[in-house]
Amino acid sequence: MNAKNQVNKKMGCVFNVQRYSVHDGPGIRTIIFLKGCPLSCRWCSNPESQYAEPELAFNRNKCIGTSECFRCSTFCAFDAISEAADGKISIDRQKCTKCFRCVAACPSKAMHTFGKMMSAKEVLDSIESESMFYARSGGGITISGGEPLHQIDFVEEIFKEAKRRRIDVTMETCGFADWEKLQRAAGYMKSILFDIKSMDPVKHEEYTGVSNELILQNLQCLREAFPDLQIFVRTPLIPGFNDTEEDIKAILTFIKDMPNVKYELLPYHRMGQQKYEYLDRPYEMIEEKLQDETYSKLQSLVSAKREIH
Amino acid sequence: MSSCCTVLSPHEQRILEEQQGIQNFAGRERIYDILNTFKAERPKIDVERAKYFTESFKQTEGQALILRWAKAMKHIVENMTVYIDDHQLLAGRVGYQGRYGILYPELDGDFLDLALEQMPSRVESPFNISDADAKVVIEDIAPYWKGKTFHEALTAALPEETLKYTYDPKDPLKSRFIVNETASFRSSIQWVHDYEKVLKKGFKGIKEEAQAKLAALDPFSAVDTMEKKPFLEAVVIACDAIALWANRHAKMAFDMAKKEKNPVRKQELLDMAERCAWVPENPARNFAEAVQSQWFTQMFSRMEQKTGTIISNGRMDQYLYPYFKQDMDAGILTEEKAIELLECMWLGMAQFIDLYISPTGGAFNEGYAHWEAVTIGGQTPDGCDATNELTYLFLQSKREFPMHYPDLAARIHNRAPARFLHEVAETVKEGSGFPKLINDEEVVPLLLAKGASFEEAYDYAVSGCAECRMPNRDTYTSPNAYINFPAAVEMTMYNGKMKLHGDEIIGLQTGDPCEFKTWEEYWDAYLKQHINFLKQAFIQQHTIINLRAKHFAWPTGSALHDLCMNECKDLHTPVIEGGIDLGYFEFMGYGTVIDSLAAIKKLVYEEKVLTMAEIIEAMQCNFEGKEVIRQLLANAPKYGNNDGYADEIGKALDLECVKFTKKYSKELGVHLDLRIVPFTSHVPFGKVVGATPNGRKAFTPVSDGASASHGADVNGPTAVLLSNFNTKNLGYRERAARLVNIKFSPSCVAGEEGTEKLVSFIKTWCDLKLWHIQFNVINRETLLAAKKDPDKYRGLIVRIAGYSAYFTDLSPDLQDDLIARTEHTSM
Ligand code: SF4
Ligand code: SF4
Repeated sequence: MNAKNQVNKKMGCVFNVQRYSVHDGPGIRTIIFLKGCPLSCRWCSNPESQYAEPELAFNRNKCIGTSECFRCSTFCAFDAISEAADGKISIDRQKCTKCFRCVAACPSKAMHTFGKMMSAKEVLDSIESESMFYARSGGGITISGGEPLHQIDFVEEIFKEAKRRRIDVTMETCGFADWEKLQRAAGYMKSILFDIKSMDPVKHEEYTGVSNELILQNLQCLREAFPDLQIFVRTPLIPGFNDTEEDIKAILTFIKDMPNVKYELLPYHRMGQQKYEYLDRPYEMIEEKLQDETYSKLQSLVSAKREIH
Repeated sequence: MSSCCTVLSPHEQRILEEQQGIQNFAGRERIYDILNTFKAERPKIDVERAKYFTESFKQTEGQALILRWAKAMKHIVENMTVYIDDHQLLAGRVGYQGRYGILYPELDGDFLDLALEQMPSRVESPFNISDADAKVVIEDIAPYWKGKTFHEALTAALPEETLKYTYDPKDPLKSRFIVNETASFRSSIQWVHDYEKVLKKGFKGIKEEAQAKLAALDPFSAVDTMEKKPFLEAVVIACDAIALWANRHAKMAFDMAKKEKNPVRKQELLDMAERCAWVPENPARNFAEAVQSQWFTQMFSRMEQKTGTIISNGRMDQYLYPYFKQDMDAGILTEEKAIELLECMWLGMAQFIDLYISPTGGAFNEGYAHWEAVTIGGQTPDGCDATNELTYLFLQSKREFPMHYPDLAARIHNRAPARFLHEVAETVKEGSGFPKLINDEEVVPLLLAKGASFEEAYDYAVSGCAECRMPNRDTYTSPNAYINFPAAVEMTMYNGKMKLHGDEIIGLQTGDPCEFKTWEEYWDAYLKQHINFLKQAFIQQHTIINLRAKHFAWPTGSALHDLCMNECKDLHTPVIEGGIDLGYFEFMGYGTVIDSLAAIKKLVYEEKVLTMAEIIEAMQCNFEGKEVIRQLLANAPKYGNNDGYADEIGKALDLECVKFTKKYSKELGVHLDLRIVPFTSHVPFGKVVGATPNGRKAFTPVSDGASASHGADVNGPTAVLLSNFNTKNLGYRERAARLVNIKFSPSCVAGEEGTEKLVSFIKTWCDLKLWHIQFNVINRETLLAAKKDPDKYRGLIVRIAGYSAYFTDLSPDLQDDLIARTEHTSM
């Protein structure tokens, strides 16, 4: 029992490995996306990251259709797959036991799994050949999610293994985790990407499901405990949530006196929409578009702040 | 469209502004004036070169070929129309004003009648010809060459067995695109002259050298009398011819100046007259003369021979630099003036089209593709970094005036200065994809291994689309075979047949693959077909090498070559003492073959989810109603993803090729090395190959260059490089270029940070010792194409901070969103 737990602790659920990432940390990087997140942001563009367990996804566009195929149904022992009105298939999520036999059977990869259990060694083995790009660009790997701290044991395994292989690590976090976990992770990193979504606790809770107190407190602790750590504070700019001068100014004020902190806005996009459909989840993302003028205005606020520093 | 979400590449920005009429041509008025004279015109055929060449050849039958050639060149320049273009600062065009092409009937004149009918309506690269010119071709030119062209001689000389892989046995005008020769639509592979020699010595100096040698010949020697004498006489005539040609321009410029009212233009014309009267006959005295001298030389060369993808320009930033520096120091030249002169040359290049008469040649070079490489950067002959101030002006010109010409090639080595790498990256970002990069760290050691000295190897020039030349050491000019290996896969599946050719047995009968019990048996059968193709290619090459000297001669090309002058031998001679013969054979459809074999290995022999019979049946019906099988095949491991399964097969294929050539090219006296380059001819080669076991539909393009099959590279650009690295057999020297194209989204390279990351990417590529790389910055058109044809673009990744997906997985609505809000924000 104990032994089994031990093994499980060292395995993590990875839902994507993206090579040649240039927007998430210094240099050329590989992002390891981990599953599981304590927040449920309404605008989340990676809905497949939210639950900790592997999930079944269905990409309608890739499905060949039941007239020629329907292999998934043949392989499903739980009668969870039926023909849909459009000649493709639909999944009864109640009946589905996530055995993933349909995934193995599907010729076109219309059926696929979000999330694969991997060991830290497997993760590193799969990306180490990219390390020559890291070495020449000051890059490395970025653990993202989901919320990586949610799987801190696994993350620490990856970090240890990466250190051994001389690969730089960083992490993208929403900051909502026990300080102890963040502290454990921070010791391995030279830089970290830390999201601050809003300074308003009520609004924060309304839109993400949790209050921001722990997050803000963690950022402060982090700054104090790890003075050499380069912190990139990032704010996803969400129309109707935080796309006003007051919101952004409040964040800027909060980080104003923190040394070694850089700040960045991430403009909202709704590219995640498709993935909600893959998961048969209602799409509740914000329909409103981020206005170009709004973005430029807020961006100039940020640039002005940079000049002061 | 400003904003959060828009990152237009500067090239696109410029086009956009042009559309909106906000033209900002400040400082480039002349250049845009010239551009406007020919911009949207369909090219015309000019027949003068062919006409006078033929006239002269009728007069000189029985004489030594090189002498005939020189006399023909002289006859051409005595009689052809000369032009001085409005606004231009350089003189020397070899045909009609506007965009034009010329004819080489000695090469493939047997196609002429047929071609003239089809040319204006040809889908790929159409041309116009006037009725009067057509009449000249049909009555005066074509009849003389019937029975005399290289193409006819080659079809007659090829053994019957080899012929069936090359042409339709019933109609040799039709290429088969299986083991395809490329020697009958160009007289040489890509080539570079030693232009520096012209600038330093002038053709007068070369002529004097030839005269001195003539005087020193042994009058009792048969070889001196029969071989060396005509060679040297030809050199003398050719040197006179080019000087005469330049002088005709001098006279014309002078006459025009007399009539010119505008005092500024008048002075320009007088200056041109002075330059044309002096160069290329005499050594260049300043930058403008050096540029003019080089231009005359390359234009004359175009008339003399049809080299593959048009004669390359060599290391321009090196041989022009002394003149540039001298004039800058003297205060008689500015950077602006230097750029203007160079751009006058680029515009001249843009107007000369690489015209192919045969449908095969046309198909090879779709969209008038030509690659007259201008090399910059790299190392000096003594191994130091070679960049100079002029190097940066070439890059600046490409950024500010991103025309497709010239084909700018930057040599990169692992000590390249930071500024050079940075400016190269900045130039790439401009969106037009230039410069392409060639890697000294791969090329130099290979040249050394093949017998070059350090000095020669460090001084190589890029030539054509990816090759490299040492202008005084390379002596191999024979165009080489392009081998359609996906056809070998087809023959393995159909026991020697091809879908397109029905019951005709073309390849080896390696047995019914349904009987093969193991992967090893299948692989053996494929290898038999594969090696048979190589054998046919080498037989072809043997025939071609020996035949060409009887059909082609190249007086100035040889005069500019140290070894040819030493030996008094034309460059087409099969063996020139002291030379290194660097040839190649082309692996068409590398990705297609790897992916096909990987799918069979995995699905038939390992996972056993499909039987061979099922795959063959699905291929037979082009996957109609067999989407399940097609998808299974399409989702098997693919080359270009740093996936060991596929790459291992790629490496084994590479090995078979280099092993074969290691064993059999020695006896030909040539390095026939494995090259994996073509990226327009994969279309015509695809048109003869039925459906393949990688899920590729019948008669669609095979994979191009050393790239992954369309859309198969789903792991991004680093994986593409690593797959290329993984599949090479570095222990062998029998390899030539591999061409790699990388697509980048503008946001990946946006801003200073993007430039830095691109530089790091280039450094890694350099250290991986990959031969070539060229970048495409994705634009709106790419996205629209991807929306329409998702299969080809499956690898297109949307890269946004903290998010990733494939573009083709997005709904049409979201795709539109991305297309609209961007061009490309955020991808
Ligand atoms: S197996 Fe895949 S392609 Fe076939 S019907 Fe099921 S989901 Fe569609
Ligand atoms: S995961 Fe298993 S239970 Fe769920 S639909 Fe697929 S085969 Fe059926």
